[in-house]
Order: sequence, then structure tokens, then C-alpha cells
Amino acid sequence: MVKVTVDGTAVEVPDNANALEACRAAGVDVPHFCYHPRFSIVGQCRMCMVEIDGAPKVQASCTVPVRGGMVIRASSEKALAARNATMEFLLINHPLDCPICDQAGECQLQDNAVAGGLPVSRTSEPRRQFPGYDRTDIGPHVIADMTRCIQCTRCIRFCNEIAGTGELTFIERGGHTMVWTHEGHQLDNEWSACAADVCPVGALTTKEFRFRKRVWWLKKTASVCPGCEIGCNISIEHREQVVHRFLPRVNLGVNDFWMCDHGRFLAESLNGRDFLKPVVPDDFLKASEPDGRGRRETNWGEALGLVHEKLTAAKPAAVLAIGSANLSTEENWLLAELFGKTVGTPNVEFDADQGPLRRIRNPKAIGADGGFLKGTVAAPNARGAEAAGVRKASGESALGRLLTGSLVPDVLYVADAAFSARTADPAFVAKLRKAKFLVVHARTRSALTDVADVVLPVSGLTGKDGSFLNVQGRVQRFDVAFVPPPIVKTDLEVLLHLGQRFGVFETRWTTADVFGKLAATVPAYGGLAWDAPAVVGLPPSVSPAASYDVLRPPRTSVDDTDKLPAAAGKA
Amino acid sequence: MSGGAGTPVSEQAGLPREGEHGALSAGKAVSFSPKALARFEKLLTRYPTKQAALLPTLWIAQEELGWISREAVDYVASLLGLSPAFVWGVTTFYTMYNRAPVGKHLIQFCTSISCHLAGAEEVFAECRKRLGDLKPGETTADGRFTVIEVECLAQCDKAPAVMVNDDDCAIITKENLEQFLGGLK
Repeated sequence: MVKVTVDGTAVEVPDNANALEACRAAGVDVPHFCYHPRFSIVGQCRMCMVEIDGAPKVQASCTVPVRGGMVIRASSEKALAARNATMEFLLINHPLDCPICDQAGECQLQDNAVAGGLPVSRTSEPRRQFPGYDRTDIGPHVIADMTRCIQCTRCIRFCNEIAGTGELTFIERGGHTMVWTHEGHQLDNEWSACAADVCPVGALTTKEFRFRKRVWWLKKTASVCPGCEIGCNISIEHREQVVHRFLPRVNLGVNDFWMCDHGRFLAESLNGRDFLKPVVPDDFLKASEPDGRGRRETNWGEALGLVHEKLTAAKPAAVLAIGSANLSTEENWLLAELFGKTVGTPNVEFDADQGPLRRIRNPKAIGADGGFLKGTVAAPNARGAEAAGVRKASGESALGRLLTGSLVPDVLYVADAAFSARTADPAFVAKLRKAKFLVVHARTRSALTDVADVVLPVSGLTGKDGSFLNVQGRVQRFDVAFVPPPIVKTDLEVLLHLGQRFGVFETRWTTADVFGKLAATVPAYGGLAWDAPAVVGLPPSVSPAASYDVLRPPRTSVDDTDKLPAAAGKA
Repeated sequence: MSGGAGTPVSEQAGLPREGEHGALSAGKAVSFSPKALARFEKLLTRYPTKQAALLPTLWIAQEELGWISREAVDYVASLLGLSPAFVWGVTTFYTMYNRAPVGKHLIQFCTSISCHLAGAEEVFAECRKRLGDLKPGETTADGRFTVIEVECLAQCDKAPAVMVNDDDCAIITKENLEQFLGGLK
């Protein structure tokens, strides 16, 4: 660690830090575009100019390694003048059409121009344009608009240094420089949308989110990616009960600053709701419906009463409860408690799909293999389900026997209608339907809900909180994004209400209460608190291009900067 | 040279136009001859990393294939273990790599300040007229000549200066243009 002084504030930073990082550590805001903590330093944008005592000129602070006793003046007149000049240069060719740019609101150029740029433009010349190269697909998820590019090379360095695929490059030079791919190649890697995340301006945007919602309308909810067992921390960005996008949420121990395209574009799958009320069989309708499965909507009292009645009437060994690797550990634990202990069935199982290999670059993460954290199960909480006492299904287990036809359950309770991709397969569903009474929790309609006797409408990930246990054995919490429609319950509430009918659960329990009970009995959760920082993670960042800002201390207030010149002494 | 206010964007000088930046396809796979490959191998011994050998390797490619095609970029990238995008980025940075097929004689007219004062623009126009109203960068129908405009050739003392392929030709004027072109036939 070395001691440096930034605007009169002494701060201790690691030996390998640079002057920009020292400024940030001191809480001094130095605008920058090309610097990113995970990329090599290029000093490309020239925005982070500061004065350093002993150096004859202002320096791009990201390119200057710190040394003991260094005195940095980040807010001096000279430094501000240099930054304003850089800003003016950058704005010579950048279109001033923020109102029609989708990056507006989370654009570093816009923020820095507002914070410290000139109030007027001194240029009247036409701005550089790239006819034929604006608003063009450069990959399956990313659209490039080169008129907005400020040549910071973050996207190029992301592809070279994080993805390791090197699809992007500068072509041409001077005023014609633009970021592009080689003809016949696309920006197509597992994390391509991260290149749009790190873009400080609107030059790279994601096709899926572009022009869907102004970013300042979006509410951000800390959550965990439902895509695979890595459990990347995400921010669910939503407005008026519609999820518009996922963004990675910084977690240095898991996904670092990144997330894969597969997970990111699951955002759309959280939208849509087909069940607003519980559905129960109706004898009258059954007689009239051609498939003999007449059902009607009802209230929770009747639906849960029916489920309770069927469960009490059934032989315990003939009850099969299927948990899910998509459900939180709390929900799986309640399921295991209710069915395993109260109903008394040995058959509480879950099944999760083996998915394609998912990878997230984080060489420092525990469990990272070859620089990547890897996940093979296509659901976020297979470990949590197992830890909660829900057994993994196998060929000989109850679910396996149901599928082979050697077990016909009296009651099959499926706590997640989408516990496996196979639930969309009619042949698989037909085997589950062999059960005499089939109950499912569901948000959207599927082949399984079509044949179920009772459908219990649940909120899905957006409407509930809970925790997942990821591939590293890390407990990670996700929060409620928005409250579901009135009659819809969370999976947890459904299980609590059902448990109350058996006299074992209380409906007033919150997820935190269940977490507490869980932490007392499940070793993987031992000693953890619902509000523990390690469980909660970091808050969502304001802007994806500066996601690392959540790691820095609060900014120096204006009052402090007023006193700076006097406070800063010679080292 | 940029257009003033009011000039339609597409007519501003020097701006990229549609299709101008992508690597053109040679329409077939390309590779080095054994001789060129031997040169390439020898080249690698002189550089600390493979990436450092990119510029001379591109020169070999240009000498071998005449120009740097999309396939040539992919081939050079595979030889050096670089991404094709990186190779293409380097190719476009340097003006002396030909990004389209050129004629047997690539006539490069300097129009920078000294040559400009010595009347290079007129000689350039006259030359293009004699070769059949070529536009800058175009090749004659018989594939013999390509004429382009380049920046300073460092022969200001012999303005207007011209370079034909790799050779300097000093003081090319309207008067000796006929003789100059004749010498290339």
C-alpha cells in the first residue's frame, strides 16, 4: 500500500493502483470513459486529466501508476480546463441528439458533459457521420451506431481480454476510425451484450432492449439470474410490472461485472401471466368438456382445501412432491418439511435439466476453472433444493418410478410447473398425468398446467424474495421486483397456507423468518443471516457502463472541494 | 478538404461510404506458396512475438496475392494466431496495403504540398484522362494500370513525384507523361 494525497485528502491505495483509482478511492470524481477496472489501461479517451505535483503537464490519471507521497490535484483549475477541453473535442463529432439516443440517462458522455462540460458548443461544422455504418447489427444481440462512438476501445478490450474472442477492432484511422468486425465475422460470443454494457455511450446497444424503455423509468431490483447454477447477480430492470432487461450486478466473488447472453435475455421470459386465480376441477364442466377435464377458477380457500383433503386422504407413500431447482431454498425447505415430515411421504424430489455449459470470466472466484466459473445445471438452485432436503430424482426414485409406470401416486404435487424443460413434452406430461390427482404451481400455461387438476397461480421470480445456493455453495438473496396481482401468491405463501391447514406453518411467516428456520437446520445456511452483506450482495448500479461505481466510497462533497488548494501540501 | 456546412453528407470528401470498409472477398481460399511460407517462417525468427510479425507478413501476402482480401486476412490471422478482426484493423490503418485488386502498374501520384505547387493535380487528372477517364482508385480495363492519389512520398525535391509499385519516378509533368506511361507498357 502507498499513501497519496488527492485534493488534500490522504488516501492509502494498493501499490499497483493508478492515479485515477487513487482519486476514486479518495472519493473524488474524475470523469473517464476508457478506464475500466478489468481492462488493460490504454489512456485512450484523455478524459481523466489531473495535475500531479512534479509533472510538468496535466496527466491522464489512469496511465500514471501511484508512488508513495504522490500529490494529485484532480480539481485544480488546470485539471478542470484540460478535462473541459477533452470534453469539447469529444463532442466535436458526437451527435447532440440525446433525446433520440437510447443510451440517454445512463450515458457517461452525457453525464460528464452535464457535470463539467461547456454550456454551449463552439462548433458549427457538420459532424462526422458513417453512412452505411450506423445502426447496423454487428452480432446477434448488439447494434452498432458509429456516429456515437467516442473510440474508448472498451468493447474491443472486452472481447480481447474478457471474452478472449477478439471479434472487434478499430478499422480505418484518424477521424474515420470506427469499431467494427472483420467481414464475415460477427460479434458473437457467450457474453456479447456485455460489450454494449461497457460502452459508455450509445454506440453499442442491445437489440433486445433498444428503444423499449427510457432507462430513467426503470426500477432496479437486486436479483439472481435464473439461467444456471452459477447464479450471476443481476438487476431486474422493470416498470409497471413488466421486466425490460437484466443487467449484471457486481459481485466480485461470482460474476464480477459480467453475465452471459443466455441469462441476460431470459428477462423476457419473466413476463406474461396466464393464471390469476386458482383452478380446480368442476364435476359439471367435466361432464360437458370433451377432454373430460373441465375446470373452473375459484378462490384460494376452496383450492387449498381440496389439496389438503386429497393429501390427508392419500396414503403417505403414494404422495409425490416435486420441488424445483428454480424455487428458492426456503420454498424447497418448506416443501420438504411439509411433505416429508407432516404428510410423511419419503417422496420429496426435484429434477433439474443438465444444460449447456455456461461460463463467466472471473479468475479470482472460488471454483473458477481456467479463469471461468462454470455451470452445467440449467437452473439456479439445484444445490439449494438438495440442501433443503429435497432429493435429486433418479431412475429408482419415486419420480423415476412414476415415469416408468411402476408408481401411480394418489397425489402428485408439482411446486414448479416448469421444473424441467421436459414439462413441455407431451409424452413426459402424459406420464406425470398418470397420478390420480395432480397439483401444480404455475405462472404461465404449459402442457402440464393444461392437464393438471389444480393449478395454483404463483408470482414467479419477480414477485418473491428468497435465496439460491449457487455452484460455489454461496447463499445469494433475490428481492421482490414488484408485487404480483392481488390473488396471485408467491410459492412460499402457497406452501405456508397449505402448511397452516396441516397446523405446522403460520401464514404470517416472511421469507426472512423461513430463512432463519432454514439457517438453524440446513448446514449450508448455518450461521447466515437474511440481512448479511454476503447474502444480500451489492446494490444494482446506476449505469451499466460504470457498474464498478457501486464499489467506490461516497463522493467528496462540494464543501470539501472548496477547501482543497489550502489543504493540499507538498509531499 | 471536408465539405462545408450544407454539403450533403454523402458528398463530403474523405468520408467512408457504404461497402467501403468491409474486406472484399477474393472469391476463393488463398494460401502462401511454399516459397512465401519459407520466407514467413524465417520472418518469425526475427520477431519476439508472432503478433510483431504482422506487418511484414501482410507484405508477403500482398506480394503473393496482389492485394489483401477477406480470405487473405483470415489466412494471415490463422498463420499468426491473431483474430481476423485485429489483422483487418491493422490492414486498414496502413494505406499501402491494397484492399482491392490493382493493375500491374500501381501509379501513385503525390498531391501533397510540394507536388501540389508543382502542378501534381493537373498531371494526375491528365494521366487519368489518358488512361480512359479513370476515377482515382480505378483500374484500366486491360488490368495494366491503377491510379491513386497518395500523401507525401518524401521526394519534394523532385516534385511532382510519382511512385509506380515500389519504385520512385521523379518529376512527372504533363510534358513527359506520355513518355512515362510508355515506359510502363
